[in-house]
Amino acid sequence: MERYVCTGCSLLCDDIIVSSDGIYIDQVIGACLKGKERFDLVNSENRILNPLVRQNNILEKASWDLALDKTTELLKNAKNPLLYGFSTTSCEAQLRGLELASDINGFIDSNSSICQGKVLNETINAGITFSTITEIINKADLIILWGCNAAESIPRLLNKTLYSRGKFRITGREIKTLIIIDPVKNASFNTMGVRDIPLIIKPGKDLELIKALKENCCATEGTPPEGVAGLDKEDMRRLLQQLGGAEYGVIFVGQGLLTPLENSNLITELLELVNIINSKQQKGRISVMMMGGHYNMVGFDHVALSMYGKNGAIQFKDNHFTNTDDTLITKIQNEDFDCSLFIGTDPISHLPFSLSSKLVKKPIILIDNHKNASYEFANIVLPTAITGIECDGLAYRLDHIPIEVKKIINPPNKIPTDADLLTQIIQKIKSNR
Amino acid sequence: MELYKFLPKTNCKRCGKPSCMAFALDLLKGKVKVDDCPPLVEEKKYSSNRETLKEMLGAEEGIEKELHIEVDEELCDGCGICVTICPVNARYCYSTLSGKAPDFPPDKHQLFQVKAGKCELLNLEHCRRLEAEGRERECRVCETYCPREAIKIVYI
Repeated sequence: MERYVCTGCSLLCDDIIVSSDGIYIDQVIGACLKGKERFDLVNSENRILNPLVRQNNILEKASWDLALDKTTELLKNAKNPLLYGFSTTSCEAQLRGLELASDINGFIDSNSSICQGKVLNETINAGITFSTITEIINKADLIILWGCNAAESIPRLLNKTLYSRGKFRITGREIKTLIIIDPVKNASFNTMGVRDIPLIIKPGKDLELIKALKENCCATEGTPPEGVAGLDKEDMRRLLQQLGGAEYGVIFVGQGLLTPLENSNLITELLELVNIINSKQQKGRISVMMMGGHYNMVGFDHVALSMYGKNGAIQFKDNHFTNTDDTLITKIQNEDFDCSLFIGTDPISHLPFSLSSKLVKKPIILIDNHKNASYEFANIVLPTAITGIECDGLAYRLDHIPIEVKKIINPPNKIPTDADLLTQIIQKIKSNR
Repeated sequence: MELYKFLPKTNCKRCGKPSCMAFALDLLKGKVKVDDCPPLVEEKKYSSNRETLKEMLGAEEGIEKELHIEVDEELCDGCGICVTICPVNARYCYSTLSGKAPDFPPDKHQLFQVKAGKCELLNLEHCRRLEAEGRERECRVCETYCPREAIKIVYI
């Protein structure tokens, strides 16, 4: 039985056993519920199989030629197009997307700019290294989940990191300590053993906790303050002991830490704390890890960084990269765009109403493989094959490791891949000029 | 474990079992009765314990029960923690040691496997609760560490 890569979430499990006759997928063994849903998408009711064009306010089936003509017309006439998405496409498609943006002088951004992209930038600035899953399996003895519910968002993450038995952690779960810091008692708390520390803090008090830890982590003796972020004194002491004594600790930075604050940046403060601990500690170190959701969110950061030195919010002018302070949010707020192209994402439902209502006013081109909220408002819908099942490509795992995803079956209706479709659009725009 | 608290804990071996723990386990499975423990019957200081034990077991005392591991398919999300954590899986399917999914078709000893996004119990015969000796028989790791509380070890 051959093992394939699952593209259900950012963990990119490479041990999924799929039995297939080349036309249909028969059995999926080893994948979690999220991965199984991904494989079920192939024959799902929500699958888009034909290109659609909105005429008289109704989405109607159209031929590929008509849909592509309309797309090129829309993009060519647009002065300031907005390209957004790319987190659920292969790196090849992301490269084509950047090429398209430079051709039509657009603004391109990926989901990571409103997700974990901030952590990557801050970490590079602070000089802290990321750890990899393999390193965690073999070395880690302290795992901290801060503001994330790993047991439900990335189901197999705890299985692979906490429960596995590595080279220097041969007893597995027994030698690894888990600390969860969260305002809500979520499903991850159920994996707690006797030695683990569950910390239910008051909502919005992460900054207070980080500042208290920064002050106290240097002090070897003495008692920590009482009542920081609603925590017990004894819990606080145990947390400090673990942070200072861990041989190899990992902090999983979840979405809970990305909430914007008025005066300070939670991520910067957290990374400063990690730096202080690493410089004080003699035998071990602590690293961080981004908990992204989309399977190739990190990929866009790497492709854009290698091409233009910036991992998101890239503006093109006269077919060249220009520096801009604009972000996706300010762009939409100021209505500084005249047409938008979404690839593999659903901003109409992800973004708040104040922003999505502005997106709807301008024409929308949607490139995706299944129906979503944006589908209902799109002017042109172009279907593509599912990467990892119907076409191959390169994707980056959440720990910045590139993994080649494989093709299992052929796409229905000869649907093109993301990269092929974008290449076609680029060629059409160039030939029309 | 609740039952063990009320036994004499002297390991006198008069009941024929190697320890009081073993007796407690057999008591739970219905293989022995409370009155099979001689000190509980003879010594006066244990009389209250004996009554508590009888109360706890109720009508089920002495009726032989079988081990069942129930997996709630509604709750399970296929994270595979049970596959990795199970000591029997670790002994026979080496790939589970590093958190990988075991081979397919499964080994004859393998207890759990994840299929179509749900955990599946393959065969119960090789469970530590039935095969191993001593403290290992009290193994409850799959039940303890399931984040969705989908696995239940019951005696019916």
